[in-house]
Amino acid sequence: MKKILAIACLTWKAALRFRLFLVIAVLLLAAVVGIPVLIKSDGTARGFTEILITYTLSATTALLGLSTLWLSCGTLARDIEECQIQVVATKPVARWQIWLGKWLGIVSLNAALLVLSGASVYGLLQWRATRLPAAEQETLRTQVLVARGVAQPPDYNTEINTRTEQLLQERLKQTQIPNADLATARQQIREQVKAAYQLVPPGYYHEWQIDLGFAKNSLHGKPLQLRVKFNTAQTGQSGTFVGLWQIGVPGTANVWRSQPMSLSANTYHEFEIPADLFDRQGTLTIDFVNANNTTLLFPIEDGTEVLYPKGGFTLNFVRGLGILFCWMALLAAIGLAAASFLSFPVATFFSLAMLVVVFASGTLSDAVANGTVTGVNEETGTAGHFIADFVLIPFFKVILAVVNVVKNFSPIDALSSGRAISWSELGAAFGQIVLLFGGVFGLIGIRLFTRRELATAQGNQ
Amino acid sequence: MADDGRPLPAGAPAFLRLLSFIFHVCKMSARVKKVLLLLLAAALLAGSGRVQKSLNRDRKELELTQMTPLKNAPPLLAFTTVALGGFRGLISNFLWIRAYDLQQEDKYFEMVQLADWITDLEPHFPQVWVFQAWNMAWNISVNFKDFSDRWRWVQRGMELLRDDGLRYNPDSPLLYQQLSWIFQSKMGQNMDDANQYYKEQWAKDMMPFFGPYGTNFDELLHPQTPEARARVGEFRDKFKMDPVFTEKVNEQWGPLDWRLPEASAIYWASVGLERAKANPGKVKPFEVAQLRRSIYQSMLQAFYHGRLVINPFDKSYDFYPDLALVSKVNDAYETEYAEESDPGQKNGFKHAQRNFLRDAVYFLYEDNRMAEAAKWFAYLSREFPDQPILDNDPNSLPSQMTLDQYAVACVQEDIGETDQNRVTAAVEGLLAHAYYELAIGQDDRYAGYKLLAFKVYQHYQSQLSPYADEIKRKGLAPFANLNQTVLDQLLDPKQGLPLAARAVLRTQLRMPPETVPANASPAVAISTNATEVTSTNLSNSAGK
Repeated sequence: MKKILAIACLTWKAALRFRLFLVIAVLLLAAVVGIPVLIKSDGTARGFTEILITYTLSATTALLGLSTLWLSCGTLARDIEECQIQVVATKPVARWQIWLGKWLGIVSLNAALLVLSGASVYGLLQWRATRLPAAEQETLRTQVLVARGVAQPPDYNTEINTRTEQLLQERLKQTQIPNADLATARQQIREQVKAAYQLVPPGYYHEWQIDLGFAKNSLHGKPLQLRVKFNTAQTGQSGTFVGLWQIGVPGTANVWRSQPMSLSANTYHEFEIPADLFDRQGTLTIDFVNANNTTLLFPIEDGTEVLYPKGGFTLNFVRGLGILFCWMALLAAIGLAAASFLSFPVATFFSLAMLVVVFASGTLSDAVANGTVTGVNEETGTAGHFIADFVLIPFFKVILAVVNVVKNFSPIDALSSGRAISWSELGAAFGQIVLLFGGVFGLIGIRLFTRRELATAQGNQ
Repeated sequence: MADDGRPLPAGAPAFLRLLSFIFHVCKMSARVKKVLLLLLAAALLAGSGRVQKSLNRDRKELELTQMTPLKNAPPLLAFTTVALGGFRGLISNFLWIRAYDLQQEDKYFEMVQLADWITDLEPHFPQVWVFQAWNMAWNISVNFKDFSDRWRWVQRGMELLRDDGLRYNPDSPLLYQQLSWIFQSKMGQNMDDANQYYKEQWAKDMMPFFGPYGTNFDELLHPQTPEARARVGEFRDKFKMDPVFTEKVNEQWGPLDWRLPEASAIYWASVGLERAKANPGKVKPFEVAQLRRSIYQSMLQAFYHGRLVINPFDKSYDFYPDLALVSKVNDAYETEYAEESDPGQKNGFKHAQRNFLRDAVYFLYEDNRMAEAAKWFAYLSREFPDQPILDNDPNSLPSQMTLDQYAVACVQEDIGETDQNRVTAAVEGLLAHAYYELAIGQDDRYAGYKLLAFKVYQHYQSQLSPYADEIKRKGLAPFANLNQTVLDQLLDPKQGLPLAARAVLRTQLRMPPETVPANASPAVAISTNATEVTSTNLSNSAGK
């Protein structure tokens, strides 16, 4: 460990010697201070805070990400090209220790810079919040500068699947369905069954029961937020629909009824509901009356959610930064792995190309969904075929599986919308991003670096 | 000669001759070569200069690019537009995609910023401004359930066009038309549930400039105090409106209530028309037609609900027909008809004008403006003598009906046929409406509604057969009884009007005051010259 730390220390020294640390630190601070001056928000304190969190943390991530890739490619590749690595490698230190030492050095450098910029962003947010009127401060504290947990109604998957299979078997007894169409038939029946759990016809009401779980014990006296979304096949002239809500314990006086709300379809609406409307078991009963002349559909997956205060913003912010740190650790591993067998420019190009692949995951998803890289004829609806599809599509699937795991952790989005980032989520991010994917790149990098003949790389001398 | 010194054959191809020439040049002395190259450079420069002029002319004519530099642009924008050059399009595309993606995910907090960047990158492309403003004012606004949130987005859309779009495109009719459309349609019409809220907020914004009735230009045109001058400055800087031109618009199309969005819609369409007149070469005929239509459609809306009355009891904003505009709206129709060349459109205008006139006559009658109602009824009869005046009665030619018959028929159209209960309810409704108008100081409307209630009552009773027991069976209660019932309900301390309104009613109707609780607030005094209308003097007032 001492040897690894010694290498990490050398990496730090190099970063300080080349003024890299200073330059990145100044750039990060400039971004944090400059962005609030430049951005335009929707005019609300909430909107401004959301955009501030998004843009400052995105700028921090982008700056740190690029500098991490550049540094990790440069520190190893240039050491090899300029033969400085030979001075180190001839000492009693293993190649894997050199590699890990450099990785640790870059990661700790990132940690320091992330703490610096994170503390600046946090301080800026708190300072701005204290200068707002009391009402807006309250809105910020309950909706953005907070860690809110999410409770959803049951997804009824078991019931839906069971009923789907029942109906499918009944249909099969009556009609012969070719094997090729069986999956489609099952899907259609499933959608029909699912509709019963989602649709609210005109003049009817729909009830959701949401179990708040253990959170109920800490929610007494605290108002909650209801987040709803519905879809509809028809849109009236006004584009909005009347929403009437009743929330509380049925059959008791502990019930809250909303005023008629003007709600538009296909978008999320969030509103506050009074405290203590759940029963002793922690079940919150929500009723919606459809007073419109068209059927409304509340998607099971995300049509109704209850957001409740789960913790403070400070720790949530720290956990969010923790996930960003995991991303940086992975980028450092990618850069070092590339520099282990490539020259500095090629390693940088290779690493950036990998980033481009991540950013282009939408295109990859389209190709996988269409089953071809040649695209779909929009007029005929038919997909083209390309001989390379047999190789590329499975390859894209693997890339997407990896990319999606990393992209699923979106701390900036969670922080700007006041969603809680749990410790387990941070742990999962560390496990999957750093240990799993970072570990894979690390192993590849160490293996390549160990087998590399360092003395042959003397092109620049 | 070839490179070995032998001359080229006479029929050698042209490119061989060129190669030979280049070879000889290369073999010349360095000085001669430099002179030749300088001459070549000068010739190319002169040639490109000539081509550049014609290219620039074509680009301007084909509107492929903006030749004039950005005016009034902040340094950052000026730098960005020059520095990015052709890459502006790429960055703009990226921002469009991000804006679309965020909107799909219901994330709106970045929209103002993204719209700002997108329009900054393409400042001379009016459609970009129009789309971004429309998206904010129409699409994003309705996604919020709170009206205050919606209003904020409508304002953002309006500001994007008014404050920035018009700064960079001061001659674009499209931008003026779209800005006018936000006032006319989004705020003025009732398609959005929050339209009343928009109207109230806009009225509050405009009240400081035009006074409590929205019609006072004195202070705007001749500010005397520092506060007044500051207000004029705000009117110009914040709302980008010119007091002198505002008065000109008011004289041409008004008197308008400038607290209402329709007045602003007319203002911005008028500014657009002025710009179009000043730059006829830059404007297409259909763009001018759209601006003209914005004006007459807004005029029509102003007629229907262009008079704002702030309820003194609950401070709510009520909108009534602005009957002072009848003549101007009719003029607008006539002008539009005269300037339109398409026969189909001309017919459409005539049809719309007839509908407007029918409503105007009825509204004037309802407002107890009998002389004006009779004048416009005569005008309607003269202009459309062969067209039925009632939709469901082909025999209702203007020459076959009196003004009274027409007004009652209009009410009956609204309330249905001759159902006893429905007519009773309608009469009571008209009476209640009359007393409500009296309570808020709308004396003429009070008289008009009461007259109408009596006419409806009379008309129904006259349709019953005098020979059978139909009057007994289907007849209405005596008018005085219906009147008293309504009045009792309104004056009921528990379920009637608010205390202040009850006190005003009692005062106006010369009734003794009710017993007032010790902690009640005093009644609001409203100046009025109304007199109680009874069935005996109703017939006299109908003739005035």
